[in-house]
Amino acid sequence: MTDATYSPPMPALTLRGALPALFGADPRLAVLGGMLLVSMIPTTLAMQIDPRLFQGESIWLKPLKFEFALAVYLLSLAFFARFLPAGMLDRRALRVFSAVVIVCVLGEMAWIGGAAMFGTASHFNLSSPVMEGIYGLMGLFAVTLTSASLIYGIAIWRNPAGLPDAALRLSVALGLGLTFLLTVIVAGYMSSQPGHLVGVPVTDARVPLMGWSREVGDLRLPHFLATHAMHVIPIGGYIAARFLPQVAALRAVWAISAGFVLVTGASFALAIMGLPVFPI
Amino acid sequence: MTPDSLFQIAGPIAMIGWAALALAPLAPKWADRIGGLAIPAILSVGYAAVILGYWWQGQGGFDSLANVMLLLSNPWMALAGWVHFLAFDLFIGGWITRQARRDGVPHLLVLPCLLLTFLFGPVGLILFLSMAAARRAFTLREIEA
Repeated sequence: MTDATYSPPMPALTLRGALPALFGADPRLAVLGGMLLVSMIPTTLAMQIDPRLFQGESIWLKPLKFEFALAVYLLSLAFFARFLPAGMLDRRALRVFSAVVIVCVLGEMAWIGGAAMFGTASHFNLSSPVMEGIYGLMGLFAVTLTSASLIYGIAIWRNPAGLPDAALRLSVALGLGLTFLLTVIVAGYMSSQPGHLVGVPVTDARVPLMGWSREVGDLRLPHFLATHAMHVIPIGGYIAARFLPQVAALRAVWAISAGFVLVTGASFALAIMGLPVFPI
Repeated sequence: MTPDSLFQIAGPIAMIGWAALALAPLAPKWADRIGGLAIPAILSVGYAAVILGYWWQGQGGFDSLANVMLLLSNPWMALAGWVHFLAFDLFIGGWITRQARRDGVPHLLVLPCLLLTFLFGPVGLILFLSMAAARRAFTLREIEA
C-alpha cells in the first residue's frame, strides 16, 4: 500500500454506503460512537418513565447529553482518521491505544449512567472516599480519551500525503490539538471547583437546549467551546482553503485559531468571575 | 407513566410479534423482521428503560426465592419481569420459526409450538426441540457431503 489516503469502499449514495464512507477509516471508534447513539433510545425512554430529578432536571438528562457528546466526538475522530498515515491504526501501539480510549469512554458512561440510576451525583461527588476516588479516576479517563484528538492531530499534521492542502491540514491539526489543550485546561479547572456554576442562581434562567446559566458563571460553556475546536477550526480552514490562495489561507487558519482561543478564553474568564455569557 | 399503563401497552406490542410469527408462511421475511427482531428489540429497550429508572427501588435480590419474591413485589420490577418474559419468549418464537423453515418443518406443526411458547415459554421450546430431534432421528436426509 503506497497510497497514503483512506479510500472509501463505495460511493456514498445510500445510507449503507455513506456510513462506512464517512467513518470507516476508524471502525473501532465509529462503532463505539454508533453504539452510544443507539443507547440514547433506552436512556430517553428511562427519562420518560422515571420522574426522579437531580438539581431540577431529569436524572437521565446528563447521561443522555454525554452519550450524544461522546458519540459526536468519536464519530468526528473516525471521520478525521481518513487523513492519518496509511496503516497507522493497524499498528499494535495504536490498537492498544484505541482499546484504552474505548475502555475510558465506557468507564465514563458506566459511572455517569450508574450514578443516575442510583440517583446520585457523578461529577463533583465527594460524599465518600469511594466516590471521591472514582471521581479522580474518571478525571484521568477523561484526559486519556481526550488525548486521542491530540494524537490524531499530530499524526495528521505529519502526514501531508493524507491531506495535501496545507491550510486545510493545518486547520484539522490545530483544531484537534486545541480540543485537547483547551478542554484539559477548562475541564481540569472545573473539576477543581465544587460545581459547574460559579455563583448561586436565583431565577434559574437558562440558555435554551444547552442549559447554561444566564445569571451566574457556567464553566460548561467554555468546556463546550474548547471541545468543539476540532469542528469549528477545520470548517474555517475548509472555507479558507476553498476561497483564498495558499499563503493567505494559512494565515487565515492561524487567525481563526487565535480568535477561537480568545473567544474560549474570554468565556472561561467570564465564568470564573461568576458572570454569564448570555446575561438576562 | 405508571407501571400499569406500560403493562397495558406491552401486551399488544408483543401480540403484534406473535401474530407476525403465526402468519409467517405468508411473508417469511417480514415475520422474521417483525416477530423475530423488531418487537423483541422494542420490548428489550423498554425493559432496559424500566431497569435504568427503577432498579434502585427494588428490594430483595437473586440469592433466595424469598428475595426474588420481594424484588418482584415492587410494581416496576414486576413490570420489568413481565416485559422480560414477553421479549424473550417472542425471541424464542422467532428462532423456532426460522429454524423450522430451514429444516422444512410444516407450519401446522410449528403453530402449537408457538402457542405453547407464547403461553408457557419453555414448554413450547422443549416441544419444538423434541419434535426437531424426532424428525432428525426418524426421517432420511440427503447424504451430507
